[in-house]
Amino acid sequence: MSARDRILERVREALSDRETAAHPGAFEGWRPTTASHPVNGLVQLLEAAGGEVVRQPNVDDAAAWLASFCADFENSAVGETVPVVLHPPLPLGAPDTAPLGVSMARGAVAETGSLIMDARDGRRAQLLVPTHVVFVHTRDVYATLREALIDLVDDLPSAIAFHSGPSKSADIGQILVKGVHGPGRLVAVLIDGET
Amino acid sequence: MSLKGPAKYREEAAKTIHEKPEVRASITAATRTFDAHRVHAWGQIDADRWRDWARDVKTHLLRNLDEYLEQAEERLTANGAHIHWAETADDALAVLSEVVHAHGIARVVKAKSMLSEELGVNGHLEGLGVHVRETDLGEYIIQLLGQPPSHIVGPAIHLSVDDCRSLFSERLGTPLDAEPDELAAAARDALRAEFLAADLGISGGNFLAADTGTVALIENEGNIRLSTSLPRVHIAFVGIEKLVPRLEDVSGLLQLTTRAATGQPIGIYTSLIQGPRKSDEVDGPEEVHVVLVDNGRTKLLADDAAWEALRCVRCGACLNICPVYRQTGGHAYGWTYSGPIGAIIAPGMLGLEEAMPLPFASSLCGACTDVCPVRIPIPDLLVHWREQAVQQGLAPPTETLGLKAYAKLAQSPELFGTANSVLRHMPLQLGGRALPVLGGWLQERSAPRSSKKSFLQMWKEGIE
Amino acid sequence: MRASLFATCLCDQFYAEACADAVRLLRHLGVDVDVPEGQTCCGQPAYNAGRPEEARGMATHTMHVFADAEYVVLPSGSCAGMIRCFYHELADEGHAESLASRTYELSQFLRQVLNVDTLGTGLQGRRVAYHHSCHALRELGVEDEPLSLLAGCGAEVVEWEADQECCGFGGLFSTKLPEVSAAMADRKLDTLPDIDFMTSSDGGCLLQLSGRAAKRRIGPPFVHLASALWQGVGP
Repeated sequence: MSARDRILERVREALSDRETAAHPGAFEGWRPTTASHPVNGLVQLLEAAGGEVVRQPNVDDAAAWLASFCADFENSAVGETVPVVLHPPLPLGAPDTAPLGVSMARGAVAETGSLIMDARDGRRAQLLVPTHVVFVHTRDVYATLREALIDLVDDLPSAIAFHSGPSKSADIGQILVKGVHGPGRLVAVLIDGET
Repeated sequence: MSLKGPAKYREEAAKTIHEKPEVRASITAATRTFDAHRVHAWGQIDADRWRDWARDVKTHLLRNLDEYLEQAEERLTANGAHIHWAETADDALAVLSEVVHAHGIARVVKAKSMLSEELGVNGHLEGLGVHVRETDLGEYIIQLLGQPPSHIVGPAIHLSVDDCRSLFSERLGTPLDAEPDELAAAARDALRAEFLAADLGISGGNFLAADTGTVALIENEGNIRLSTSLPRVHIAFVGIEKLVPRLEDVSGLLQLTTRAATGQPIGIYTSLIQGPRKSDEVDGPEEVHVVLVDNGRTKLLADDAAWEALRCVRCGACLNICPVYRQTGGHAYGWTYSGPIGAIIAPGMLGLEEAMPLPFASSLCGACTDVCPVRIPIPDLLVHWREQAVQQGLAPPTETLGLKAYAKLAQSPELFGTANSVLRHMPLQLGGRALPVLGGWLQERSAPRSSKKSFLQMWKEGIE
Repeated sequence: MRASLFATCLCDQFYAEACADAVRLLRHLGVDVDVPEGQTCCGQPAYNAGRPEEARGMATHTMHVFADAEYVVLPSGSCAGMIRCFYHELADEGHAESLASRTYELSQFLRQVLNVDTLGTGLQGRRVAYHHSCHALRELGVEDEPLSLLAGCGAEVVEWEADQECCGFGGLFSTKLPEVSAAMADRKLDTLPDIDFMTSSDGGCLLQLSGRAAKRRIGPPFVHLASALWQGVGP
């Protein structure tokens, strides 16, 4: 008998005289008041967590905003799923040395204020840069985390991560510090429509 | 510093209280802050309903644990991950050794994981000559100090900013009056080098979704994402009770856990890991191992009452509200898990004798169960373990005799009244030597004064 | 209306005058009070120490003593909690439920059964700290009752950050782990604002806090809630 079999055997034995317990069903995120429009919820939570949110009406305007935003950066790492039009007009940098990283989020979650980062975009560029700009289409904003997860199941890469603000820690005497270890500055750019 | 085992609880607690008042102050301040945040975060949701749901999901999971374990194994394997089953800590460490040798691992970065503490991962790696670095800022700090974590969520809450200043000045060369920002920047640089140089990343698992084979991890710093993304091998140690039926269930458990732990709607980074990097990905580990760990959990599961403790999501809310925990912090409890949750799982995982006196290290105030997101009936379980302790002869004989005698007296009202009279006329100062139980009282408090007459006597004589 | 007073082992011994005040208070409110003979201990110390057999004996005895009571009123939240929440585990479920449904802690009885609002002006201008006994608060759900009754006597119940934290009594806990128990009492005492007296529904809590305060030679006067409310009735 393998360790696996012995463990499963012990589990079954432990459960042999227990009553059944049904799954309670979907988690509906019950709240006293209903949320406002999902995108407002997303913005509110991201900003409350220390993130910055910019809204652009379309991809071209978003590109123009990026060009002006990255004027002071020397180079930038760029995610694999960022469309060419949204590449910053900067030399390409390596994720571990670039001061700026630009990513494309797969979507966002309003309920939790999170950006959905896909491993296919490239994990290092999402994590090692001090300033992280993330583009997301408003049409890809899910109202709830549950909805997002149900959708993601159909196409799961090796890793999905929800980024919900700039990196922070309160481990030094309960005092808040930013940027240890992920990006200390997170800028989410919500793109409302196509060109 | 190593943990001395639960048996030393009273001694260690007394030492902390008398010799390190700053620990009590730090812990009290930190836990009150955490709890205030939880109260605020729960005020924004229908917390009762969320908690009922979470209790029911976890209960369903535990009731069908074998099926979900098998499903998780199948899915993770299909995702390209390697599954291992560890009955004991030694088994888990053997898997670790195997991976270390197979890959010639020299440098490890570790994400914060209470299970890895429980298993003794760091010590084992050091024994193999492997360099291991804790990357969570709090864990990093205590690793440098050679201390174990003192709280499930905030490992370094027993330390002050000044403690960190001295430590970093010594080890990283920062000025003695450095602001927290500067200290953090120094840690970031030191640890950045570690992330980039490591060949193995080790994590725990907050949840393991069976239907998709997903290990979910919660954090605020990014060190877990880095530890599980940069090195070419990733090992996740996951307790068998951490399973969750469906990925969509993670939506509720995740949010409830973060709200309970720190008052956040969600952690800054949530990782959902299915397996090693895929062919269309530019980075990520080449190999992912998931070690499913028993180490006493099936023993808890078999206990008709204590199985409920396996619903625990390790949020730390019970530690934050516990008036006993906040006087000392976690080290006094003597093993990995402290506070109310530590006291109810210790007898299952360590065995009741080794866990003593933890089930008695509580005034049964009930605050913990009021805040537990998965509604573990902690005081009931403490009383359950106390009953077991008595049955197994682990309670002090004087206590047994005393309570048996008391119970007999209480069923004979005349004798009870006589005994009370005797007590009334005996100076309790002296009684302290005669009755050990009074000794404990008199050590810290003045002797209570009996009323001149008992109430029942006053009643007999007539009350105006 | 008739109420049977269960003095409880602790109050009978250490807070006899408070029990007498409870009687006076109830009579003042028009309640006929009796004190069934043979009452001793509710069994909580044994139950909490992991000895259900001993507790069962005491519970059965107590149920017998109060079998005919219309209402059972206790100057103790923890003993009332024991009866209400745990007797059904120890004794015949039907009888236990019946007793439980008739059992009240004093302030709970005054508010929930007698609907008392104001008692008098006897505590006018007094600054009072209220210590919530854990079992009254969490087992009985008694939170507002003592506060509104005290305010109803003219008292000012002060803000106190540790008011709902356990005092560290916990029955035998106080003697088995005295250092931690004392540290818990110190947390309560050291966070007290300036007050005229502290009060609580439970004798155990008062013994713990007053005993610690006396040892440290600090502290305000400690008054059992029954006595405070009787005083509140005024002249």
